[in-house]
Amino acid sequence: MAHLLEMENLTKDFGGIRAVDSLTCCVDEGSITGIIGPNGAGKTTVFNLITGVYRPTTGAILLEGASIVGDRPDVIVGKGVTRTFQNIRLFNRQTCLENVMTPLLQRTPCSLFSALLRTPHARRVDRTVRAKAMSLLVAMGIESYADAKASTLPYGLQRKLEIARALAAEPKLLLLDEPAAGMNPEETRSLADLIARVHADFNVSILLIEHHMDLVMNICSPVIVMNFGALLAVGRPDEVRADERVIGAYLGRKKRDGNKAAAPEGAEGEDRHAGARR
Amino acid sequence: MFLQTLVTGLSIGGIYALMAVGYSLVFSVLGFSNFAHGAVIMLGAYLGLALAVKLHLGIGLVLVGSIVGSGILAVMNERLAYSVLRRRKAPSLYLMISAMGCSVFLENLVYATIGSRFYAFPEFFSRQVVQFAGSSLSLLDLAAFIVAFLAILALHVFVTRTKTGIAIRAGVCDMTMCSLMGVNVDRLIMVVFLLAGAFAGVAGVFLGVKYLVYPTMGWVTNKAYIAAVIGGLGSLPGALVGGLILGVVETFVSTYVSSVMRDVFSFTLLIALLVWMPNGLFGSDTEEKV
Amino acid sequence: MDYILSVVTLAAINMIAVLGLSIFTGFTGLFSFGHAAFVGVGAYASAILTYYYYVPFFIALVAGAFAAAAVSLIIGVPTLRAKLRSDYFAIAILGFGEAFRVILENLEITNGARGLPGIDSFTTLPIVLVALAFSVWITRNFLKSRYGVACIAIREDPVAAEMSGVGLFRTRLLSLVLSAFLCGLSGGLMAHFLSFIQPVMFTLVQSTQLLAAVIAGGMGSITGPLFASFLFIVLPEALRVANMWRLVAYGLMLVLIMIYRPQGIMGYQELPDLFRRKISRSGTK
Repeated sequence: MAHLLEMENLTKDFGGIRAVDSLTCCVDEGSITGIIGPNGAGKTTVFNLITGVYRPTTGAILLEGASIVGDRPDVIVGKGVTRTFQNIRLFNRQTCLENVMTPLLQRTPCSLFSALLRTPHARRVDRTVRAKAMSLLVAMGIESYADAKASTLPYGLQRKLEIARALAAEPKLLLLDEPAAGMNPEETRSLADLIARVHADFNVSILLIEHHMDLVMNICSPVIVMNFGALLAVGRPDEVRADERVIGAYLGRKKRDGNKAAAPEGAEGEDRHAGARR
Repeated sequence: MFLQTLVTGLSIGGIYALMAVGYSLVFSVLGFSNFAHGAVIMLGAYLGLALAVKLHLGIGLVLVGSIVGSGILAVMNERLAYSVLRRRKAPSLYLMISAMGCSVFLENLVYATIGSRFYAFPEFFSRQVVQFAGSSLSLLDLAAFIVAFLAILALHVFVTRTKTGIAIRAGVCDMTMCSLMGVNVDRLIMVVFLLAGAFAGVAGVFLGVKYLVYPTMGWVTNKAYIAAVIGGLGSLPGALVGGLILGVVETFVSTYVSSVMRDVFSFTLLIALLVWMPNGLFGSDTEEKV
Repeated sequence: MDYILSVVTLAAINMIAVLGLSIFTGFTGLFSFGHAAFVGVGAYASAILTYYYYVPFFIALVAGAFAAAAVSLIIGVPTLRAKLRSDYFAIAILGFGEAFRVILENLEITNGARGLPGIDSFTTLPIVLVALAFSVWITRNFLKSRYGVACIAIREDPVAAEMSGVGLFRTRLLSLVLSAFLCGLSGGLMAHFLSFIQPVMFTLVQSTQLLAAVIAGGMGSITGPLFASFLFIVLPEALRVANMWRLVAYGLMLVLIMIYRPQGIMGYQELPDLFRRKISRSGTK
């Protein structure tokens, strides 16, 4: 498989703190790659670096072999990378349909002149975009909320809406930042289904950060493990789980702390894996 | 000529610094630009004027009266216009708009009730001139400069040495944490506004004595605000240095370039600083978090 | 009758400027204490064209609007590119407005602080109403287009907007330029209605009035601010309130609105919606 995204010696310093420390890894085309690691390991910072929110201190980020370092976030989105956020960021006072229409409209050419005078071309653009947005809502199963304000949606559906909006930018690579945060096991399972389906139906590669170990172990391969900003291990879920360093730095300690997020794993998780892939 | 310009600039800068301290003090704790400060200075000037003209008080008592009055005004201002927003944790922009509203309200209230007449203070300082290293300096300017310097020094000592001062500095770092540690935040903010108001009182009287007293005299405080930005909003030494720099640079521009260009220059400087050096000379990092 | 006519005309002229600021503040989420300067640019540019150069009124009007749009680039490009904190931006544009006034007061062609008297009064109520209708139509189209949608996305969440492919700088700049354009148009109409303009007519006080109308009328609403600005002009005239008391009220209103209803009276909705959605509205936010 070809590398869709490559990071080489990626480093980010905030003042004296090194959030990401010469990270080298890649995302293969067509994969669902997971990133795990203890809190503060620098996972979200990696997302911020990839999407251009931060500029790396040193190192390279290549999308399909071309550097995207220094590009503005919206340019990177145009090149095919979008994301969702750990703490959901929707356009709250807009309807669900409008939320999804926003990225679609940005990808549809329409001159300012045509827009201001609302020429037939502008109307046509509006109609096609509206239809496309609706079909995305249908794909996420939230079409009945099309005219509801985004903020009025229940939490789980807001997550889905955010994924729909990210897909509306027609990405090659979709970054999901803790999509299952705050979800119960039931919801997490249905989310895993959804991610697997999105991956297949929209022909998109996915890089996801998650603390729900079962979700990661079920749908992700390979899994990247980060600790203190650096790469700790990378491999198939079972390889990573067996890795001594990973157990020491992350899984083991989490278990000792009695962290709920890390608790449901192992055999139970394997069953879900089968379920998720049908 | 050069030295004379410098001395004049420094004396103007002293008054700017006196006013800038009020902006910086409030900004350091609440993180917003309190544009009502200019109006409080104006009211302080009117109060001082009333004390001097109606009660025939001397400069000392006039200052004390104005300090107390302006302090109370500033505290009332905070209680009525900001405290609700503050408790709701509203964006600093809302506080700023509210402050702008207060400023427009107070300024025009004076306009509508007292009128737009210009008033002059009685002559506290005879038009005496001190010779200083070959340049002349009016006694008033010298007094203003010394008072400004001493007041800011006293404030600095207060903030760094006393218990309340330390609480204020802790509040600057983290207001929520401060209240968890048992500091009475409302009282703390009251002290901050009381201090800012006291400085407004001193500044108002000196401004009124130097120029005149009229409803829009608070406009000059826009300059003080620029001074605070130069020094770095929220920094007390910054307010002093910023005020002096602005005073000197302005005087040089108006002497050697043109007096018309002086104000254009100051505002351009403000914009340039906000764009390229938003933290000023001494300010801390105030970036909005993603 | 003439008096009522002139008050209504003035209100409609003011509404165009408020509409402009509403695009920038209500829909893009950036606050400005300097938009009166753009009204001033439009007023002076068009008045100078008809006064000194005998340019036809309509051409001068359009030229004034474009002049305001061009001037907005001077302040917009550096400040918006630097992605200033929202309050710093409002202050920077305040500084710009004050600098603009000082320049007006000292130019020869503007006749300094004394102002330009004797401008031909070409502006009539029908012309103003057509201009207002045109402005509302353009604004509505803009807000439905990719450009307006991008503005709203930025107001709601700049980071999420960027992740939807919205360029922050160019979208905010476009919003500023369009709002300055409408303010400039309003200024041109005003100059040729009052037939006298003066630098003090375009200062911080007027900027605050425009902002008060937008905030009171409602963020993210077209009809709200229009309604509010109409009331702001007509009510004091009807009640014969002196100008300074009007300003006292504006100031007090800004404070009260920030405290009790920061989204404004018609926050994030339009007047027709009120009647349509009266029943179905639930879970207000």
